[in-house]
Amino acid sequence: MALPRLIFVTGKGGTGKSTLSAALAAALAGRGRRSLLASLDGRRSAARMLEPEEGGDPRKNTSPGGAPEILTLSRRAELEAFIERIVPLRAISNRMLKSRTFGYVTSAVPGLEAFLLMERLRAVAGDAALNDYYVVADAPASGNALEMLAVAAGVKGLAPRGTLNRLASGVEALITDPRRFGVALAATPADLAVREALATAGRLKELGIARVIVMLNCTVEALFETAEIEALRKLNGHHELAARRRELARRTDAARRKLRAAGLEAIELPMLFRAELHRRDLLSLARRLGDALLSDEAGA
Amino acid sequence: MKPALETLLSQRLLICVGPGGVGKTTTSAMLALTAAAAGRAVDVLTIDPAPRLLDALGLDPGSNQPQAVALGAIGGAKRGRMRAMRLDPKHTFDRLVGRYAPSAAARDAILDNRIYRNLSQALAGVADYMAVERLLELHESGGADLIVLDTPPAAEAMDFLDAPRRLLDFLNSRAVTLLGTPAGVLRGGLSIVDLAARAVLSAFDRVTGLHLLRDVQGFVRGFDGMYPGFAERAARAQALLHDPSCSAVIVTTAERERVAQVHSFVAGLEAAGIVLGAVLVNRVSGDLPRLGGPATGRIAPALGRKIGRNLADFRALKRREAGALDAIRAIVPAHVALIFAPELEREPGNLRDLAEIGRRLADG
Repeated sequence: MALPRLIFVTGKGGTGKSTLSAALAAALAGRGRRSLLASLDGRRSAARMLEPEEGGDPRKNTSPGGAPEILTLSRRAELEAFIERIVPLRAISNRMLKSRTFGYVTSAVPGLEAFLLMERLRAVAGDAALNDYYVVADAPASGNALEMLAVAAGVKGLAPRGTLNRLASGVEALITDPRRFGVALAATPADLAVREALATAGRLKELGIARVIVMLNCTVEALFETAEIEALRKLNGHHELAARRRELARRTDAARRKLRAAGLEAIELPMLFRAELHRRDLLSLARRLGDALLSDEAGA
Repeated sequence: MKPALETLLSQRLLICVGPGGVGKTTTSAMLALTAAAAGRAVDVLTIDPAPRLLDALGLDPGSNQPQAVALGAIGGAKRGRMRAMRLDPKHTFDRLVGRYAPSAAARDAILDNRIYRNLSQALAGVADYMAVERLLELHESGGADLIVLDTPPAAEAMDFLDAPRRLLDFLNSRAVTLLGTPAGVLRGGLSIVDLAARAVLSAFDRVTGLHLLRDVQGFVRGFDGMYPGFAERAARAQALLHDPSCSAVIVTTAERERVAQVHSFVAGLEAAGIVLGAVLVNRVSGDLPRLGGPATGRIAPALGRKIGRNLADFRALKRREAGALDAIRAIVPAHVALIFAPELEREPGNLRDLAEIGRRLADG
């Protein structure tokens, strides 16, 4: 299946959303696609991971598709842009934006800012299709992200006619089109993260989002056979460490089974047993994502 | 019990703050349980608890009233008592409106108003404020030696503690003069900017199709009579948060990407004048086991290689964690206790697990 033009990355806090977003953008670039990494949190945490490392040779990081480009979006900036678009007189729009009252009114409209951010993503996805590149959006954690994705329907309810209604229909059409929009859901084998992924996947289905990619991060292989662990009994320390490994692997297995039972086949990304994470670790995640998502298109 | 933990749990009020995904809710329940196991009467107020935690605490997911947690499973001779309650911001806000509305008609007008409904459901700030409000209700109803409050995931570190002031600010803002008054009766005192803003808001309404102005007017007028009640309430809530018997606990995990977030919570609490009681680092892995003698000769070479790799892997993770802990230590003020909550071999799923973490809490 062709990759959607825009991939919206979300998941429970602490599951590695930003790292996986950066890896996904790098995976695309590594396979010769132009890619754009959009930070929606305003903190640019994903973008920072793609910056050249100190002392590193920048030429080493060049990918066939070029380095991913970076775009930072914030709710506030989108609101300002929208007001400037619909209020023709700049002097007035500037004053409005500075007015506290106006701030209160706009924040009382449920999700107006979130909606405008979605509207911006719609425009970016359109541009990506036109100019043949891919967008990876590092979105907020699942709760907030679901609010963003549900906001178009909410806005249509509030504004039965008018500009916003028309824009909301456009956003709805985007997120339900699997060629243009997909959600990448990050989870770890931790029980709470898996539960949240399952609940989020259910909600995405209700919202009519057809393309959902699940990324199970921090998976661990058992490494030892049961008989081997038995053989280690006399080596007290090593026996305990092997048992710890098995427990992590057991959690990975349980997570895999729960996701499968819900019809979700996850792309698995291994736990990185490293004292410090470097660019090569990010690139190893990128290779895995690339293999899983892009290999069937390699010949195309 | 270690002195730092004992000091923390002898407070009247603990507010658990921190980034998403670090286990704030579980930690709140664990602290409450630990205090209850030591003989105190504890109430814990949780936001959006996972079904599993509700199970562990034996809570009815539909209720937002305090429910007794059966402590039988955790043993202990001088057990106190524990009650848990989940927070429903909408319900709390509705009750607050009911209390201060001058009449039933005024109350219903507000409850039906579109802006109010949106405010009470969609605005994160309202959920924050309602958590503080519920805390105040619990505090004033007495009965608990300690109240532990779990906070909602905040976009900005200090949204939560600032919430009462922001709601007051809204109710007291120019929105009242600007929007609460029908166009015909506008008198002097409004600046040209206000008038322009009002005109533009009407234009905004027409273009967007939202027809908000009417609703905002209804909302603001409806709130007029309630303002003094709300203001008094919010002032009391603010005072409670700044009381010396109230401490915040920053919950985090030992990961590099948390360091900057912890830093912003430390700075935010200080700016807000709220006592930081402790930084609790959750899910700290145990020490690596002591290794047995060099018996490699007696095991198969393949297994020997696996042992070597496994050891290197766990040592690397331990070094990464130690690096993050050092970075966290460096930003926590010297007088603030650093508490480490151990990661259990299993994910905590019942009261006994929470009690076990409480027993193993170590001081830094």
